[in-house]
Amino acid sequence: MANTNTSGVNVRRYRIIRNVVIGWMTVVVLGAFLLDIPRINILEHTARNLYFHVPMWFTMMAATLVSAYHSLRLLQTGAPVRDVRAKSAALLAVVFGVLGLVTGSVWARFTWYQGTDLWWNFDPKQSMAAVQVLIYGAYFVLRSGIDDDRKRARIAAVYNLFAVVTVPFLLYVLPRQMESLHPGAEGNPAFSDITHPIMRLIFYPACIGFIGLFWVLYTQRVRTALVQRRLDDAHAPL
Amino acid sequence: MFFPTDQAVPDTAQAAASTPYDSVWANPEVPTKAADGLEAVMLAQDKLYVVLAVVLIIWIGLIVFVLRTDQRLRKLERSVETGIPEEPAEA
Repeated sequence: MANTNTSGVNVRRYRIIRNVVIGWMTVVVLGAFLLDIPRINILEHTARNLYFHVPMWFTMMAATLVSAYHSLRLLQTGAPVRDVRAKSAALLAVVFGVLGLVTGSVWARFTWYQGTDLWWNFDPKQSMAAVQVLIYGAYFVLRSGIDDDRKRARIAAVYNLFAVVTVPFLLYVLPRQMESLHPGAEGNPAFSDITHPIMRLIFYPACIGFIGLFWVLYTQRVRTALVQRRLDDAHAPL
Repeated sequence: MFFPTDQAVPDTAQAAASTPYDSVWANPEVPTKAADGLEAVMLAQDKLYVVLAVVLIIWIGLIVFVLRTDQRLRKLERSVETGIPEEPAEA
């Protein structure tokens, strides 16, 4: 295949996307701090966290979708590369999920919980997001318990398909249905009536940028893992 | 239970008008102890430093991930140089 290196990744496409993502995110970060936004009581400048905290969850959702797609393909074809891709995407789903939780906790500490010294107060949306991250953490616990490669790939893929089913409920439906401090019960956890429309100008590019960043980091992991696999195969006892 | 009802700050009279989980906000007497060290810093400049903290957390998190990928590459390089396979990567 043209432009495809030994690990089966289109490196030319990777490089183009990587460079675009670097430039794109630089502009997003600049815009996030420089664009003037209305100052709202309690939120004040922390409203700008919309550009950073919320895309973590968009990116996690994208990562779980990519992971589930490759798990599905693994069950269809049994190709080991699918397992590598599913695992790498799931790992990044956990990374972005943890970043989303930690950034959300810091944001809440100085807005909802200002003056109370609370970092975590079991807001149901926070709790369910934490559960979501744990569901993906269990994917790796499950993997570490199976020694046989083919068996591990198949069992992990089946688990992964169950895990992805929980994503729409815990990250999409619940934040829109449940009353809590976290905005969203009126229909949209990212934008509420106090969110100035101008913020969408940075917010959507930020989501695209972070998903692009996910794709870059994910592809790096896939390339590394595929080279590893080739080396292992080359040295495997006949 | 994920949603303990005994909140750290007890609900007060206003609680009925609020949602079940926003006891802190619903409390009309928001504890207004003088902002101490960390809070004094984070609330300065209209809370801009909260955004800085969030951006730094994401930056550090992603950098740690990149360094771990780097570590794997280094292992692979060593394995290629010596011709001796490393232990197979963990699942």
